[in-house]
Amino acid sequence: MHIKDIKLTHYRNYEKLDLTFDHQVNVIIGENAQGKTNLMEAIYVLAFSKSYRTSKDKELINWDENYARIEGTVHKRARQFPLEMQFSAKGKKAKLNHLEQQRLSDYIGALNVVMFAPEDLNLVKGSPQIRRRFIDMEIGQIQPIYIYHLGQYQKIVKQRNHLLKQLQRRKTSDETMLDVLTDQLVEHARVIIAKRFIFLELLREAATGIHEGISQHSETLSIQYSTPLDVLESDSEEKIGKCLHETFKDNREKEIDRGSTLFGPHRDDLLFYVNDRDVQTYGSQGQQRTTALSLKLAEIELIKREVGEYPVLLLDDVLSELDRHRQSHLLDTIQGKVQTFVSTTSVSDIKHQTIEQAALFNVTSGTITKQK
Amino acid sequence: MYYPEPISKLIDSFTKLPGIGPKTAVRLAFFVLNMKEDDVLDFAKALVNAKRELTHCSTCGHITDQDPCSICSDGTRDESVICVVQDPKDVIAMEKMREFNGRYHVLHGTISPMDGIGPEDINVPPLIDRLKDEKVNELILATNPNVEGEATAMYISRLVKPSGIKISRIASGLPMGGDLEYADEVTLSKAMEGRREL
Repeated sequence: MHIKDIKLTHYRNYEKLDLTFDHQVNVIIGENAQGKTNLMEAIYVLAFSKSYRTSKDKELINWDENYARIEGTVHKRARQFPLEMQFSAKGKKAKLNHLEQQRLSDYIGALNVVMFAPEDLNLVKGSPQIRRRFIDMEIGQIQPIYIYHLGQYQKIVKQRNHLLKQLQRRKTSDETMLDVLTDQLVEHARVIIAKRFIFLELLREAATGIHEGISQHSETLSIQYSTPLDVLESDSEEKIGKCLHETFKDNREKEIDRGSTLFGPHRDDLLFYVNDRDVQTYGSQGQQRTTALSLKLAEIELIKREVGEYPVLLLDDVLSELDRHRQSHLLDTIQGKVQTFVSTTSVSDIKHQTIEQAALFNVTSGTITKQK
Repeated sequence: MYYPEPISKLIDSFTKLPGIGPKTAVRLAFFVLNMKEDDVLDFAKALVNAKRELTHCSTCGHITDQDPCSICSDGTRDESVICVVQDPKDVIAMEKMREFNGRYHVLHGTISPMDGIGPEDINVPPLIDRLKDEKVNELILATNPNVEGEATAMYISRLVKPSGIKISRIASGLPMGGDLEYADEVTLSKAMEGRREL
């Protein structure tokens, strides 16, 4: 799949923009604060109907204007169709094939995008929260119902934590409600954990091969689900549920004492091992980056498996963060398969065939010109 | 101040109603000025009477002008079945159905530790007392199908279970007359979960 062209109106620092893209690699070159990331963001918004940089849609509208529009033509499965996102004070409109979609879930997924930004390099060494978000976002893209379970789960955790605090401070002694919330929690937690296990198997399948490739067969990546619960990845949903129930029963005093829910998917983590050594603690920076890169490339493969076509890849200022070897592996992988948008301050230090053949765009303060 | 005091007070009062913003409040207030005096008096009386004469039924908690309410005092209704709902509006909705001939119990809210609302803050203890006295043998839990409504239903069922009273939870799933293809994933999966043998 690829994006044929894009039109921006009053979007961030772009007054009006009309670009036609190459179906392979497009390099956006410009100094800082000229609008490189804004263009990347616009493509992301066209796919997901919201930005990854802000939760306030209003910020997407040019300061002096009252609406913003992104239009794009997408080529997917030998068909071509237009997408349109419009933002104004009244809210947002998502149009697929000129038809407004009432439910955003009907719109999202028409265009598949994978984004790789510098902060993704923190996937391995960053906080567990980043890894949980990674896995949750991925499963959510493939199975919308996962998002529902996750939302309900988070709500119940919040309720349960409040109750545990009340029990801790002896404001209430009613433990029946704790039983009720525990039952509710387990109902969703077991689905979330089971779905994570299934996804992990797919991720492993894709990522280990890629990692071997990048490291030229010197490193073997393995991924583990880290949880204090006594569960195996082969366990059924029922068995996971049983284990959760027992854990909560055994730790009731402890949870009341701490006033917080101590077990469940919101406390679990992913562990990465390279040659059987924990990368997060013992890995070099290079190994951590290779692992992050393998996971992102695996994501592309997983979407290909699910959708039948490669997604569009956005590399926002990330190529310069990788050494030459990883750069060329990344570019080798996408070559001829994945439409890629690369943003960078300079193209001269990237020596690769794909970049030499790429379409180059220069950005200066809100205008973009195509290099001949 | 652009308005004389009497009208600005009226505007203020209208803004207190749900769904009425400042502009609508101004429009309503000026409309009242042009109404016949008798109509305005009737309107005012209706407001005051609704507040003064309506109380909550001491048995079921439903809004009523006489205690016990017309449903609780209706001898033809089945007193062995109680339907538990969140809100007086839910009783009205159920009554429109004209299928249910039992009695009600209105909780006036749901249990939510997050908001500091425990079982004793809503109409739960009176329900338990009621079950002790009356000859009830079935309890239908009809709270809303969201996290808090579900939790409240589960809580009541745990309290009541030991007494041996039959407890049921209303079903959730597809709306009647609807199309399967328009249902969202969550509703569909609930409908699959709650499927029954034919």
